[in-house]
Amino acid sequence: MNFRQDFPIFITNPNLVYLDSAATSQKPKVVLEALRYYYENENANIHRSAHFLAEKATVAYEATRQTVADFIGAKHKHEIIFTRNATESINLVARSWGETFLKAGDEVLLSKLEHHSNLIPWLQLKEKIGIEIKYLDIDESGQLIFDESQITEKTKLVSLTGMSNSLGVITHLKPIITKAHEVGAKVLIDACQMAVHSPIDVQELDADFLVFSAHKLYGPTGVGVLYGKSDLLEKMPPFLGGGEMIQQVFEDRFIAGDIPNKFEAGTPNIAGVTAFKAAIEYLNSVGFETIQKQEKALTEYALEKLKALPYLKLIGPQGMKNRGSIISFTIDGVHPHDIAEGLSQKQICIRAGHHCTQPLMDYLELPATARASFAFYNEVEEVDKLVKGLEEVYEYFNQ
Amino acid sequence: MCTMDIYAQNILDRYKKPFYKDKFNLSGKRVAGSGKLNLVIHKEANHSCGDVVEVGMKFVETQNLASLQVYSFSGNGCAISMASADMLGDVIVGMNMEDILNFSKDELYEVLGIEISVRRSKCALLPLLAIQNGVLGHQKEALKSWKDYHI
Repeated sequence: MNFRQDFPIFITNPNLVYLDSAATSQKPKVVLEALRYYYENENANIHRSAHFLAEKATVAYEATRQTVADFIGAKHKHEIIFTRNATESINLVARSWGETFLKAGDEVLLSKLEHHSNLIPWLQLKEKIGIEIKYLDIDESGQLIFDESQITEKTKLVSLTGMSNSLGVITHLKPIITKAHEVGAKVLIDACQMAVHSPIDVQELDADFLVFSAHKLYGPTGVGVLYGKSDLLEKMPPFLGGGEMIQQVFEDRFIAGDIPNKFEAGTPNIAGVTAFKAAIEYLNSVGFETIQKQEKALTEYALEKLKALPYLKLIGPQGMKNRGSIISFTIDGVHPHDIAEGLSQKQICIRAGHHCTQPLMDYLELPATARASFAFYNEVEEVDKLVKGLEEVYEYFNQ
Repeated sequence: MCTMDIYAQNILDRYKKPFYKDKFNLSGKRVAGSGKLNLVIHKEANHSCGDVVEVGMKFVETQNLASLQVYSFSGNGCAISMASADMLGDVIVGMNMEDILNFSKDELYEVLGIEISVRRSKCALLPLLAIQNGVLGHQKEALKSWKDYHI
């Protein structure tokens, strides 16, 4: 099936080879139409104005909350909080739950794979209240190395990625989550990459918190999701203060509203949230079975072709085992930025840099890598163009 | 025949065959000649891509004016950052500290002779940042940061 035609950017840029979907995905036409539809037909501020248009906007906004809840298997739609992005979602947990329930000496367990968004909020908390940060190591394939002794009575939170944005590793979470819950620790899953490539069931995962962003999931930028178990969210104080999140305000105090509004201060990205529903519906219409089949075929083919280049080194998993559709690599004697620059001249977009995982790069003793990431709208011919482009870049620097 | 032409030939040449790279031990010998010697060594990194440039500059002070006699750099980075570090040597050797501090982003881009995209501006400017902060540090002045280059 040709999914390219569903994405207007490939019509306006017919030669575009977009292999940077792990940074942000392209948007299907239905999402762009939903944004336009909202502004042309339903635009009003939600939850407060007592007119018919505000009613329409509120219904549209809240409909997405239900769609997201269903998408990840949440029991209640009030367990879905809309934020600006996954980063804000993690910051919300760190500032609200973390500052309330953690104290000096408590341990937060992370891993070497984590994105800066799942490092800095905890490092900020370390600075502020003196929590301890521990890291799970990774083996040579990038998989987490876990033994039960790493989670103790001191561990209060385990916060891990479900799929590494740098290396593409799909992490084994289940035994870690089980052990964490045995000692009463909470678990946060960074599902930014995982949510795009596989179905999520928060009940089966038994995650206490789970975060992801709409823009990686074929939706608009500016919308993030925080899922939290309702008993936890209810005990947490508000994150940001302002309109929408209150029940009553007096000159000297306020009473916070109920979840989810308690965590959604100010006018949110209403258009973005309403269009996110269209993105999830589009994703469901394609189906994860098709998505996984296409992404697996592309990744398998790309790995085979890239391994044939003697000067190219794969970073992270060497095969398909526990790997999503992300491939990180380096080329002898060519800086990743120069690789990306050369490919860019051929309208091939990849990412080069540390991918917001500086501790991981330090651990791997690399300044940076080049990263190609595939979505179901990519095609085998694009992998061929990537490989040909890499051959030319290498030749250019070694002529 | 290579079908790719990523950068202008001068950039590629200076990247592959730098003139000023690792030219002298940064803690090395005194430069011949009279006058007061000032050795300036400074390192800057672009953490977003892992590029590192360390510059070593030997200034000789005569009649209250310190001019750059010897320049060298070491480091790792992309073609633009390394070529920029090398090509800067052509223009700053012989300059005094004030001239070096007044050397602008636009003048650097002119020396490089290629269009520098916004996404590569830090690559091009990293060596200039290292050079100018080396001088500022020597003068015990506040160091520059990226925002001072308006990128």
